[in-house]
Amino acid sequence: MAAIAAERYTGASIKRSEDPRILTGAGRYVDDIKLPGMLHAAFVRSPLAHARVLSIDVSAARALPGVVAALTGAELEEITVPGPDALMALLGVEGPTPEFTLLATDKVRFAGDPVAIVIAESRYVAEDGCELVEVEYDDLPPVTNASFALDPSSPPLFANLGDNIARPHSRSEFGDVSATFANADRVIDFRVGVHRHQNVPMEGRACIASYDADLGAMTVYASTQSVHVTKLAVAMRLGMEQDKVRVVSGDVGGSFGLKIGASREELAVAAASRAVGRPVKWVEDRGENLTASGQAREESFDVRAAVSNDGDLLGLDVKMVIDTGAYPGLGVTVPAEVEEMLPGPYKLAALGFESTAVITNKASYVAYRGPWASETFLRERILDLIAKDLGLDPIEIRLRNVAPRTDPPAVMITGRSLAGVTTKESLERLAQLVDLPAFRRRQAEARAQGRYLGIGVAAFIEAAPGPRPPEGRSGPLSTESMRLRLEEDGIVALFTGQMPHGQSHQTTLAQIAADEFGVPFEQVRVVVGDTDVVPFGLTGGSRAATMAGGVALHGARQLKAKVLDFASHLMEASARDLQITDGRIWVRGDPASAIAVGEVARRAASGQFGSGVDANLEVEAAFDGGEGGWSGGSHCAIVEVDVETGIVTVQRYVVAADCGALINPAIVEGQIRGGVAQGIGAVLLERSAYDEDGNCQSATFMDYLVPTACDIPRIEIAHLETVPLDADVNFRGVGEGGMLVAPPTVVNAIEDALSPFGVRIYEQHLPPARILELIAAADPGQSVAGD
Amino acid sequence: MADITLRVNGAACTGSPEARKTLADFLRDDLSLTGTHLGCEHGACGACTVIVDGRAVRSCLMLAVQAAGSEVTTIEGLAPDGGLGTLQQAMWDSHSFQCGFCTPGMVMQAVAFLSDHPDADEQQIREALSGNICRCTGYQSIIDGVLLAAERSVNSDPAAPPGASPDPAAPRGASPDPAAPRGASPDPAAPRGASPDPAAPPNRER
Amino acid sequence: MKLPPVDYEAPETVSEAVELLAEHQDEASVLAGGQSLIPLLALRLAHPAVLIDINGIAELSGVSKTDGWVAIGAMTREYVAEESETIADDVPLLAAALPLIGHEAIRSRGTVGGSLAHADPAAELPAVARALDAEFVVRGPSGERVIPAAEWFEGFLTTSRRPDELLTEVRFPAVGPGTGTSFQEVARRHGDFAIVGLAASLTLSDGAIGDARLAFAGVSDVPVRARDAEDLLVGEAPSPQLFDQAAQRATDDIDPPADVHGSSEYRRKAAAALVRRGLRAAADNAGERQ
Repeated sequence: MAAIAAERYTGASIKRSEDPRILTGAGRYVDDIKLPGMLHAAFVRSPLAHARVLSIDVSAARALPGVVAALTGAELEEITVPGPDALMALLGVEGPTPEFTLLATDKVRFAGDPVAIVIAESRYVAEDGCELVEVEYDDLPPVTNASFALDPSSPPLFANLGDNIARPHSRSEFGDVSATFANADRVIDFRVGVHRHQNVPMEGRACIASYDADLGAMTVYASTQSVHVTKLAVAMRLGMEQDKVRVVSGDVGGSFGLKIGASREELAVAAASRAVGRPVKWVEDRGENLTASGQAREESFDVRAAVSNDGDLLGLDVKMVIDTGAYPGLGVTVPAEVEEMLPGPYKLAALGFESTAVITNKASYVAYRGPWASETFLRERILDLIAKDLGLDPIEIRLRNVAPRTDPPAVMITGRSLAGVTTKESLERLAQLVDLPAFRRRQAEARAQGRYLGIGVAAFIEAAPGPRPPEGRSGPLSTESMRLRLEEDGIVALFTGQMPHGQSHQTTLAQIAADEFGVPFEQVRVVVGDTDVVPFGLTGGSRAATMAGGVALHGARQLKAKVLDFASHLMEASARDLQITDGRIWVRGDPASAIAVGEVARRAASGQFGSGVDANLEVEAAFDGGEGGWSGGSHCAIVEVDVETGIVTVQRYVVAADCGALINPAIVEGQIRGGVAQGIGAVLLERSAYDEDGNCQSATFMDYLVPTACDIPRIEIAHLETVPLDADVNFRGVGEGGMLVAPPTVVNAIEDALSPFGVRIYEQHLPPARILELIAAADPGQSVAGD
Repeated sequence: MADITLRVNGAACTGSPEARKTLADFLRDDLSLTGTHLGCEHGACGACTVIVDGRAVRSCLMLAVQAAGSEVTTIEGLAPDGGLGTLQQAMWDSHSFQCGFCTPGMVMQAVAFLSDHPDADEQQIREALSGNICRCTGYQSIIDGVLLAAERSVNSDPAAPPGASPDPAAPRGASPDPAAPRGASPDPAAPRGASPDPAAPPNRER
Repeated sequence: MKLPPVDYEAPETVSEAVELLAEHQDEASVLAGGQSLIPLLALRLAHPAVLIDINGIAELSGVSKTDGWVAIGAMTREYVAEESETIADDVPLLAAALPLIGHEAIRSRGTVGGSLAHADPAAELPAVARALDAEFVVRGPSGERVIPAAEWFEGFLTTSRRPDELLTEVRFPAVGPGTGTSFQEVARRHGDFAIVGLAASLTLSDGAIGDARLAFAGVSDVPVRARDAEDLLVGEAPSPQLFDQAAQRATDDIDPPADVHGSSEYRRKAAAALVRRGLRAAADNAGERQ
């Protein structure tokens, strides 16, 4: 299927080149870096959700021995350049722009909002200094839920906006919505909510900013998903020329969407370094990470579904409200993504979609692994609710509604082509792996003994990167660049803007390049994390497998052609007659002619060839995703619910996945399992909680619970044969899929377990207490038809 | 501040930490052993786990001064120079980790557990590691690494050098034979990662 | 999340420790295992002037049995108590609770005395101590006192230990014949604090319950003995209906706290479930101990 030359590595679970350092404690994360003269920062943060700042006095902090500086929000305004968020500017996000200062000056807008920065000889002393800063606040009524934010009488968080609407209501229609609803056998309506939860990487946000006054240059050691976007953010905010800013990143301890660009704190650290003339390190602690780094997913949906008596989902009309928290982030872009993806791989004929984004006194809405995930949750819950009403099983209802793979391909009502989608195959595979009738028997036996088992199924597709649209791809991430060079030591070096934070690109991209170019895996080096050295790029959106994998493949091919062209002069043979295997170039049929590629590179660098010979063994490659394609699959969970304590156990979890061609199966599966684990966590354990005054109630790991080794079962994964759309590049992204589909899979299973009680579930967070509430409130008359 | 002496990874060390400085910060800052990570600083995530006097402890919940006179082993001290111990090798072979931030704590906890419970089964291993949070992997690959290490330790020749993988046929990185089968699953059609016993009990007992 | 400045003392004897406590009173915190105290300091929820580290006081560790009581030195590490055959044989309820305390690494440092002096009402050991009427031995400047468990737990993280006293030992009565015990808890994850927990003990003779103990964790600001339910059980033969009634009675009067992990009503329902399960398990165990 794939056209890679040697295929020794691609497709195999090659051991990671990252692991020797990871396993021996030799990884280099930001907090591991010590620079001469380095200082440490800590932030004074608002204890109140909404308040005017009447005064701030940092004098006692400044006087504390060991404190080198303390800067208020006002002082930072004087040494920085106000402007839009760099990432939002890069992505061209338009709309109402709230005005606010880097650190709070006149107002605080969430509990944890940074008010001042203290710089000291150690983090210990910096925190001591923070305790000495005196801030006088005047409480304002907190806006802690969307309905109050929508109320015009709620106190506006931003003076220049006048209200708490981040994006005003807008509506789109696709297909004939009114006719579809008018002609439907049934219309059902209900409200579905997704709760606030968050990324929680094991390494929080962290950076060291080091300003060199002599050179007027800033170096930032960052924990980031893109060194170039961080550089852009720092340059913009500090009013520096971009070529005076360098961002370097080593090992990154996870991110899941959190660490893109630079946060307000990181920018304050950079400004502080310039102000004090010494490197300044800031490593957020877990309390800061949980309260101030950002949160996600708090969305509600009023849904009307047009349904046939046979179980066809004909149309949806959805009103979405998204709570984007206090300071603008990518939250405002989520509704458009939800709208586009809501039909999924199904034959939905009509969609009405409207949304409003509101501002509240909570942490800002940031990107979190599959930011648009609510579309899968909503749709897969709706299908199950329809199935229950009609007595259909969960696989049946989905097979009924799935769009068949046709030629030309079906198109989602919102415009995307469904070329190559294998949802039907994944559902059928799932049915083979999970014997549904046998489960139903086991379930009935268990019920007779007072035990409640349930099974849930959900399907999804993800545009990773999605099929090539007729008009081509657009936006700053639509092309992936890579520089490839054959070094004199025989190493094939790949310079990529990808910034792995667990995705193992230093292994996967090397596998592809090694196969394509013809060197052993160990002879490829993937260089990441230095804006002076790598092209623009960003790791996120499940795009690396296709985009970076593709540019590695094509780039290695181009480099090989260039090297063979040069070698033809060296070896006095036509390039056509040369091949590269195991790091040696030789004339076909004449093994004795072999020369190591390193030797070839040294000869090229020697300058002995005239200008008529291109001896620069380097290429700059670009790749636009090729024909692309969908990732997707169907998941199944079997759960047991203890109806006396509300404790849910996930007994079995099965995945039928189409991730395109696999570069490295073990790495692909690790990504799937990690995403599923976060999805299970969202349903059973994780909630970013606020009380009605806007106090964060999940500020430690005792209250924000993430899954442990006892909470996640073995996740069985079957890989489907994909439908290749491209001649060469059919790797599809897999980073976000597990997180998109695991929540509805598990919720569907819980509802199935509780169906004898007549429970219907319209929410995603189901801790033990909620399970008991649902049972107590349910109407057993609503039991599954035929139960 | 008091002067303290302790042994870290077999070497005598001294320092004068403030009383309030945690053992974790002392290891990282004063001894530049940055392998031990800080994930929460309130004892809930296990990233800071080291071995003190033979027991796995959370170094963020010990003061440095409390380690005076103790034997401390960190991730850096687990294997002979530049090598990998049995568990580390098994975890490499099992693709146990992704971002690596939880890794040192997870490895130290697993090492301590395996040395006391070499015959542990999967459920026992999960419970033993349930205090170490990983956000990337969903744990299965980590458990597989621990199980593989336990199996290898049982099968190993006690006279073999400690850092060596005892099984010369253990999966390696690149296959030297271009025709070698791809992927690690012996049966391409079987779902990967299935529990060996379909009737196996759920992962959590209450 | 760094600890605030604090002075530090490391006495080598109980007398030295008591002298220091007498000197510093409320300004001092005793540092035993540190698994509860150090997080409090890291979160800057506590700012003691001085830490009195008692880890170096050798006489405070050890498990021994005398005259029907098992004496556990306050500094006995939880993992040592977990491995103790004496505790396994003679205080099975404690042995059942110990493995549920956090994780192994916590138990490597945490101490029996420390957990009981910290007195978190959601912790396992306070409920066990309350169920078994354990005795707390404290030493102060004027000598030693023995405080029964019923008087030890005064409020949230508050005990009747005076600021100038050190908890030196906790004594548990050795289990008698015909007694079965069970420790149950509902926790969000393995190793977490109990949302609710139950320490249960039943003594059977001639098929009837002679003695019943039920103590809850997590339903109040202190561990709670369900005395009414205990009274209901005494003299009766074990049966599911009886245990149901006991569950009802035990949870009728409690008014558990509400937090992110559960509402008051949830804790009440979960507590009732634990009573049913705990009594069933204790009755089964009692049969084995005839």
